[in-house]
Amino acid sequence: MASIKIENLSYTYPGADRPVLDHVDLEIMPGDFLAIVGNNGCGKSTLCKVLNGLIPHFISGDFQGRVLIDGQDTRQADVGVLARKVGYVYQDFENQIVRPTVLDDASYACLNYGMADYQARGRQALAQCGLQNRENEYIWQLSGGQTHLLALAGAVALGPDILILDEPIAQLDPGHADRIYGVLRELNEKYNKTILVIEHHTEYIADYCKHVLLLRDGRAAWYLPVRQALSRVEELQASNIFPPQVTLAAHALQAKGLLPAGGELPTTIGEGQQAFRSIPRPEYHRPCPPPARQPGQTVAEFQDVSVSYRSVKGEPHTVFHNLNLTLHKGENIALIGSNGAGKSTLMKLLVGLLRPTGGEILLGGQSLKEQKPEQIARKISLVYQNPEEMFIKDSIRDDIAYAMQVRQVENWQTRTEELLARFRLTDLADRDGRLLSGGQMRRASLAIGIALNPSLLLLDEPTANLDIATRKEILRTLNDMKAVTETVMIATHDMQLVCEWADRVVVLCGGSVVGDGTRDAVFGDRALTERVGIRPPEIFAMGRAVCEEALCYTVPEFVQLFGEGKRNAE
Amino acid sequence: MLNKLSESILDKFSMDFLRNQVLKNAYGNDDTLIAVRDPRVLLLWYLFFGLVPWFVNDIVFLLGCFVLVMITTLLARVAGLVLFLFALGVFSQTGYLLIVTLLFGGDASAILPLLVLTLKVTTVSLASVTVFSGLDPDRLSNGLMWYGCPERLSFSISYAYRMLPMLMEEFQNVLLSYRLRGNPPAHDSIPGKIRYLIYQVKVIVHSFYPLMLNTAKRSRTTVEALEIKGYRYAASSKEVRRMKLASLKISYDDLIFAAVSFLWVAVTMLLSSIL
Repeated sequence: MASIKIENLSYTYPGADRPVLDHVDLEIMPGDFLAIVGNNGCGKSTLCKVLNGLIPHFISGDFQGRVLIDGQDTRQADVGVLARKVGYVYQDFENQIVRPTVLDDASYACLNYGMADYQARGRQALAQCGLQNRENEYIWQLSGGQTHLLALAGAVALGPDILILDEPIAQLDPGHADRIYGVLRELNEKYNKTILVIEHHTEYIADYCKHVLLLRDGRAAWYLPVRQALSRVEELQASNIFPPQVTLAAHALQAKGLLPAGGELPTTIGEGQQAFRSIPRPEYHRPCPPPARQPGQTVAEFQDVSVSYRSVKGEPHTVFHNLNLTLHKGENIALIGSNGAGKSTLMKLLVGLLRPTGGEILLGGQSLKEQKPEQIARKISLVYQNPEEMFIKDSIRDDIAYAMQVRQVENWQTRTEELLARFRLTDLADRDGRLLSGGQMRRASLAIGIALNPSLLLLDEPTANLDIATRKEILRTLNDMKAVTETVMIATHDMQLVCEWADRVVVLCGGSVVGDGTRDAVFGDRALTERVGIRPPEIFAMGRAVCEEALCYTVPEFVQLFGEGKRNAE
Repeated sequence: MLNKLSESILDKFSMDFLRNQVLKNAYGNDDTLIAVRDPRVLLLWYLFFGLVPWFVNDIVFLLGCFVLVMITTLLARVAGLVLFLFALGVFSQTGYLLIVTLLFGGDASAILPLLVLTLKVTTVSLASVTVFSGLDPDRLSNGLMWYGCPERLSFSISYAYRMLPMLMEEFQNVLLSYRLRGNPPAHDSIPGKIRYLIYQVKVIVHSFYPLMLNTAKRSRTTVEALEIKGYRYAASSKEVRRMKLASLKISYDDLIFAAVSFLWVAVTMLLSSIL
């Protein structure tokens, strides 16, 4: 029997004029590991809330058709009964945690439903999610990845057979993301849970999932085994989903006639090695490194900077120890390193929000200590990781204008309109920033960031939490911005962004700078990438797997390099 | 020099520091002698030391109680900020009374009754500080629940502590936005300082709107999660209540604590009758 069966389901949110889900028919078998993909607003999250009964029990609206979980109609079961069958982890999972300690939170639902062995269940769930040694820790001691595992444990504790996760790895570095998916795979294989993930990182779908469901305009377009699904490159791209880079490269090579037409495309590096075997090796000449550019004027400098945080209990936590770094005018710098390596801390130091416990930071040749915050604000600007925190007014026009207005910048009105137009926000100018979509919010926060024409612009994770299409759009915006900004530093986990945008890469690890140079210097150094736990884009790894000397960072580069190979051979 | 000092004090008194102190106060000392006491015993203890001093005027007895609650406060390792606020509150109140008395024709004889009042207020406050900040919020709310307080109240206490750091973080972020983008008036002269103060107050008022909206957005998920986790179901179930309270156990040490307090009070009473 199918563990989830949806029959002719249509659902409309209260007050909406169009159904979000439109005649969906679906059957999901027990033990499946299913990725749900689709455009923004295609009904992915709604579908998940239908499965755990929040719709229609908690959120009303027009509900037609039938949803059967394990043979039981969701309209006849209450939320409590369904919670024991379907576990749900939100995208903003930190708000799902309601208790102060780890074990308390994991066992809270079991306690509420009156299960006598609630603590044992909580412990078991923590063990299944790889948190067994952290039972008595407080939740603010956990890293982002661990917090996510805790939210998962809270859902697992009730013993549901189905687990649903909404974008589980959006904010995580590759190391933590692998851990989450490792845990999910174990839950799937060892404990026979049916797992549904909403995911747009197709590399992870290729590596871990069994089936893919494409939702389009509120309908289930298709439901296919993973490799077959990811091979439908055009259809996926039409829905703003980007197949793994390996698949894209194979698709392009297929179009050039280098790979046999038809059939399934490779989706992982392993499959890629098989598929690309027939392609002749290119005669690869590593391009001479461009002559080292004369570094421009120094914009900012860290001299032996040390930082430590107060902690709630015990010793202060040291983030940096004697860190040295110089930023020059005109550079586009990517700051990378795993979660907790101190990327955000470094940026907060530069804008004077944090003070170093030792050492000196110079901005424009002058020590930060001697400058007032408002002086600093003229030279440097920080765009937070979470754009919502940038909005302090009730419309984005006011938000963009604010800094210029209070400083009586000449022509601030016209400049505001210019910025709105540049970031394609003119139509949204009077809306509250918080109510915009992810991509619009991000664009608005960038506009706020460059309003004062800072000589140094800092961006904290500008592409986090965005779907791939919006990500591409932000990347385009960032490339456009190169014309108007002097020096930009981006802290990010997004290695595709690093490769396509940065001309200098700075690697943080263990409290100091461990790598600094061009992308070739950083990604080409295997010992370094392994030590720090950063992972170059998949296409880079694919290129090296086929031909050790190849350093290609984008799909077009890969296609060009290996497409050329054929021509040379002829 | 003075400038440097005031800057460093302001620096210390950041939102980050406040947040840290709140957390420290709530959860940082879970292994102290006071924190491991059974909350029911402590609440009874508090009932005595929070009420009786108001009705007694005997100095020796009051001094005795004061010394005892001072010791318990030290044992509870209460966060510095709380003690500071406590001292500020007590001394500004009674100091103000003293000044008013002296201004309106009182003389030095007013000092003694004021001292008694101060002693009472201090004793009661320190007893409150011991119980409410020595115990972590969960144990406290369990204790209250045992005495029949509704489940919703006890959940609110522990959830407030869960939310508070988040609220403060949001607030900090909004203030940071103002600091990074705003243009505060120069504050070198005296009128400038006043304008600066007014500016700061304005910013805090303006921060309220984004703070509330951001928090409301976050709490949407929390409300749904609570529903899934059966919070509503538990609130009406006697069985769950029993399970929650099952973790409360009175140990020997609790009895010793109660006995020592009792003995201490008895001895001070004895002393006061002898003297």
